[in-house]
Amino acid sequence: MTHSHRVRRPRPWTSLLHVALVGWGVIVTLPLVWAVMSSFKADRDILTSPWSLPDRLHGENWVRAWTEASIGRYFLNSAVVVGSAVVLTMLFGAMVAYVLARYRFPGSRLIYYLFIAGMAFPLFLALVPLFFVVRSLGLLGTPLGLILVYTAYALPFTVFFLTSFFRTLPTSVAEAAFLDGCSHSGVFFRVMLPMAKPGLISVGIFNFLGLWNQYLLPLALNPEESEFVLAQGLAVLAVRQGYASDWSGLFAGLTISMLPVLAAYVVFQRRITSGLTAGAVR
Amino acid sequence: MRHRRLPFIAGFLVLPLTLYAVLVLSPYAQAFYLALTDWRGVSARAEFVGADNFARLLDDPQVLGALKNNAVMLLVVPIATVVLALFLAAALSLGRRRGAGVYRVVYFFPQLLSVAVVGVLFQFVYTPNSGLLNGVLNLLGIEGRSWLGDPSLALWAVMAVVVWSAVGFYVVLFCAAMESIPREILEAAAIDGASALTRLIRVVLPLVWENVQVAFIYLGMAALDGFAIVQIMTVGPGGPDNATEVLGLTLYRNAFTYGKFGYASALGVALFFLTLALAVLVLRGSRRDRVEMA
Amino acid sequence: MPENTPTRRGFLGLLALTPVVAACATGGGAPAPSVPAAAGPTSAANPLGVAAKDPLDVVIFKGGFGDDWAKFAESLYTKRHPEAKIKHAGIQGVGQAMQPRMVAGDPPDVIDNSGAGALDVASLVADKQLLSLEKLLDAPSADDPAVKVRDTLVPGIVEAGSFGGVPYVLNYAYTVWGLWYSSSLFAKHGWTYPATWAEMLTLGDEIKKAGLAPWTYQGKYPEYMNDPLLTMVAKAGGMEQVAAIDNLEPGAWRADSVKAVVEAFAELAGRGHIMKGSEALSHTEAQTAWCQGKAVFIPCGSWLEAEQAKVTPAGFDMVVGPTPRLSDADKLPGTAIQAAGSEPFIIPAQGKNTAGGLEFLRLMLAKESAANFATTASAMPVRKDALEGLQLSSGLKSVGELVAAAGKDALSYRFPGWYAPLAKAVHDSTGELLNGRVSAARWTERVQKAADQVAADASITKYKR
Repeated sequence: MTHSHRVRRPRPWTSLLHVALVGWGVIVTLPLVWAVMSSFKADRDILTSPWSLPDRLHGENWVRAWTEASIGRYFLNSAVVVGSAVVLTMLFGAMVAYVLARYRFPGSRLIYYLFIAGMAFPLFLALVPLFFVVRSLGLLGTPLGLILVYTAYALPFTVFFLTSFFRTLPTSVAEAAFLDGCSHSGVFFRVMLPMAKPGLISVGIFNFLGLWNQYLLPLALNPEESEFVLAQGLAVLAVRQGYASDWSGLFAGLTISMLPVLAAYVVFQRRITSGLTAGAVR
Repeated sequence: MRHRRLPFIAGFLVLPLTLYAVLVLSPYAQAFYLALTDWRGVSARAEFVGADNFARLLDDPQVLGALKNNAVMLLVVPIATVVLALFLAAALSLGRRRGAGVYRVVYFFPQLLSVAVVGVLFQFVYTPNSGLLNGVLNLLGIEGRSWLGDPSLALWAVMAVVVWSAVGFYVVLFCAAMESIPREILEAAAIDGASALTRLIRVVLPLVWENVQVAFIYLGMAALDGFAIVQIMTVGPGGPDNATEVLGLTLYRNAFTYGKFGYASALGVALFFLTLALAVLVLRGSRRDRVEMA
Repeated sequence: MPENTPTRRGFLGLLALTPVVAACATGGGAPAPSVPAAAGPTSAANPLGVAAKDPLDVVIFKGGFGDDWAKFAESLYTKRHPEAKIKHAGIQGVGQAMQPRMVAGDPPDVIDNSGAGALDVASLVADKQLLSLEKLLDAPSADDPAVKVRDTLVPGIVEAGSFGGVPYVLNYAYTVWGLWYSSSLFAKHGWTYPATWAEMLTLGDEIKKAGLAPWTYQGKYPEYMNDPLLTMVAKAGGMEQVAAIDNLEPGAWRADSVKAVVEAFAELAGRGHIMKGSEALSHTEAQTAWCQGKAVFIPCGSWLEAEQAKVTPAGFDMVVGPTPRLSDADKLPGTAIQAAGSEPFIIPAQGKNTAGGLEFLRLMLAKESAANFATTASAMPVRKDALEGLQLSSGLKSVGELVAAAGKDALSYRFPGWYAPLAKAVHDSTGELLNGRVSAARWTERVQKAADQVAADASITKYKR
């Protein structure tokens, strides 16, 4: 064997890797494709021949999910609530994380661990006390109440993620800005925040996904049917499936709720990846 | 700059901290108190019972069984996920593979699904007679099993689903970390004649170790929870015969089915300290140097 | 639910500023549950004394039956009390949604407390949160002032909703449990429905020879199989045995009748009479396999026909039969059935319009409403004559016949509602029994142990039947 500058991999090893990569891709995609396919099938076929192609495209499933379960309206509610909550979470989360990451002051560790602790508690235990807090603020059943609660519960993860992110950002740019006479908040808003954009985007996406699928909080805090968010609408479909075998309606609803998220991810994925890169690398 | 430091810090913290204290910390603090009562959760009546609930925890066979299952999940899920994700990430990012971006998009798919959807999907994958898994096994001439119906398999079937939905996120995370490793380091190692596996373990792993630690924290928390997926997917749920019982489910059942909210709160508090201890343990190992400015 | 008037919101806000736990600790923070006086004077047309202008807050579990039937009853209410505004909510997750309102002392006036995650009724009763329905039961029925509401109901339904002799729960749907089969499939093979367990096993062998599985069950929820098992225990051991079990009498589960029945069910596993894979099927999957003719018998309640409507092939003609007797020495006749109410309605004691809540239930039990429920929900309401003169499907018709044949011999167990942990032990053990992982003897030991634990647990309120 001759030595060359670039060591060549033996071919079987490479193709084995390739098989593994493709294999995992299949394992991951198949159930999703199947869910979308099932949304076009008749109920009977979903249960009797779950893995066959639809006999024809049963678009009525989608219509049923859209109209009967008001998926359209709930979709809009979800978009407003989750969208606002994510923006607010990013702002608050970044402010806290920045201060914790870049300044030493008494109690900073305590605050950091308080936020970490928030990730460690089972949510449904807080539900009843939380109901009373929200109600005493007069925010029960209002979008604003839901937005604030979503924000508060998304903060721990955001702070945790962004704190380590801000620590990794180079200090030189900020120092230069200070020398130029920038204030503390000026450095944050004009220098650090733009630099942190990739990290903000990735944590924003994760928050969006998590809140989009949140079910327990709206169940307790958002009782008004006209204000329902998507997860609650899907629960209606899921319950109906259990009692009336309306599987196709359920899958249509799931697909409708899944597609925009999927589309958003594909569009943003490059940024997410670069955001993670920036966050992961010192 | 020193003189304006504290007002700035306070200004940045006051709003988020207030929101967090009012909406997150105070409800949890109340739950801590409820753990010391016999509250049933359906009226304002509750008697203070002291540490009674905590004493009962240790005699509850369901809690002990759940604790055992959570411990198994805590061992298996993070390790399996991290190993699989490291392997896939290495294959994607170190080999300069074409189409790596596509893989990364595809691998991320499960992350987009809510647990409820994942549960429904895998019910159809595992179902014994017409399920996808047994269908594939039959093609290979292997006899299918009753994955969720057999106590010796059910917990593993559940863990496989958790791993399935988690791997993609860590592939993307590890890929990012690996791509930042200077190529010269890898090439130097390759010239030294180290095999691919050796290079992965000796060279790459130490360089992405911090990310691996973060992964262990997240995954550890996920393994200690596991409530939603178990509740949706398993026989019983929590079965067959408590084979997939997890603490979250025990807690939920005691609160909402048995009307023992005080007891459930005690279980929640115990679970909280368990999770927190884990997180702090891992974090202490990976504390980074702080950067002080101005 | 949201507070619309600023004054009320402000007031409640002030109240809630003292943390809820402070109220919990003293027990004095919330108003003591009391029965409010009827809001208005009573009359022949308004026997419950509903105040004309009081709004009515109705919460209905929107599950398999939908909630149109409740809206129908609401329309009757509006006809009689045109000034009352009705707030209707058809929801899932009744427990989680209602729990905070119960704790706050601001519950709705009527709750259909059904579905997964419903409020734990035993806890509600223990905390005195429910209104006694005595007044409703003694009120004249909506159709005939000479007949009391109580007398329009099927036998046993009032007792089944009573705790310590006080009726707190009114189940609206009447559910009958039995073994379901396709009458056309039976006709095709010339099979006859077995009257005893020995006949059942013989028929099972025959069915296997025909290439079908004799049984399947909703394996993910083993409790479905407990219904025929416990019914057979009741038939073999009589009502004394049922009472012994419900009253947690020492050794109740070790009785000979229990042992014999559990052994009989173990035979199903022993002879391979249960469709392979059943243990992991959800209820929809198992029922659909049964509808496709892969298995002949499935245990279920009378909601099965409605639940399967979308996937039942034409000409399947499902009907329900009574659980076979263990032997001719049984203490109850073969026609005895297990029957109980579902869709449990409760009226929170702290509701603002409890009279309206009672009136709503009274109108829901009117002949018109009952017939509407039977036809729209394909299920039997608890009103005795509800099915009379209606055009019925094969399944619902057979349910009606089963009820008629049983007469007084309709039984139900109370322990699952009273002692949820014991119910769980029975479910788990039966699941293991049917898969041959637990022997009949071990089943008895496990369940008896769980019963003893409940009996010894002072924190669990005990009831007697």
